[in-house]
Amino acid sequence: MNRPPLLMHVKIQNKDANFGLWLPLFLLIPLALVILIILSPLILIALLVLWPSGWGRWAWESFKAAIGSFWAMRGLDVDIQGRYGLVRVSVI
Amino acid sequence: MSDTKKKILELLAQSKITADEAYRMMSALDGDSVAHDNAGHDNTGHENTGNKGPEMKTKAKYLRVTITPYEGESGEGHHEHAEKVNVRVPMSLIRAGIKMKSLIPPEALDKANAALKDKGINFDVRSIKPEDLEELIEALGDMQVDVEGRHGEKVKVYVE
Repeated sequence: MNRPPLLMHVKIQNKDANFGLWLPLFLLIPLALVILIILSPLILIALLVLWPSGWGRWAWESFKAAIGSFWAMRGLDVDIQGRYGLVRVSVI
Repeated sequence: MSDTKKKILELLAQSKITADEAYRMMSALDGDSVAHDNAGHDNTGHENTGNKGPEMKTKAKYLRVTITPYEGESGEGHHEHAEKVNVRVPMSLIRAGIKMKSLIPPEALDKANAALKDKGINFDVRSIKPEDLEELIEALGDMQVDVEGRHGEKVKVYVE
């Protein structure tokens, strides 16, 4: 099983700006969990109401795909150097 | 040169095997020797991907896309205008992205099928199954694309 991403590093370098940003993704996980627990009754009701129309299943699949994509982001590295500057995004 | 390789070349000279068969045999032998040489070492380089025998095949972890600008004979090229791209996408992210296929509404799939038909491709997008995609991703391990652009830039797509 994959480990979730812990940090995201964004670096932008051009004529006007030069900065690097470290985003602590590991702080998002407990936060998202708390929000999910608080909203779980509402989510459950929404799923039950929307299930017969087909949108409930779609919403559930979207949720699973979003979580899966976030979990799989560890190791992503995009590095573009061009005439306008440098953009670097790496997920650790 | 090993005796086995000599034998393969002799068979090729006698036209008992085709050049393609000889190449495959030699590649398999090279794969074996690389496996013995690298025993205990981590082999993540992409250069030997084509020579890996079936037993050498490791699970692909990343899809790499690199674009390097033309540097010229003495290293001077179109540096100010050229873009250098280096992208590494984890295979797990590709798998997760593929799973998003289930989010595409059926009407959109119908439209995609119609667009493909217009282009002369008679293919039903809905027929793609997760197990087929898994096989496809595994097969990506043998893939390497090398393209040289009009301005001398090099585009490489490979799996490591």
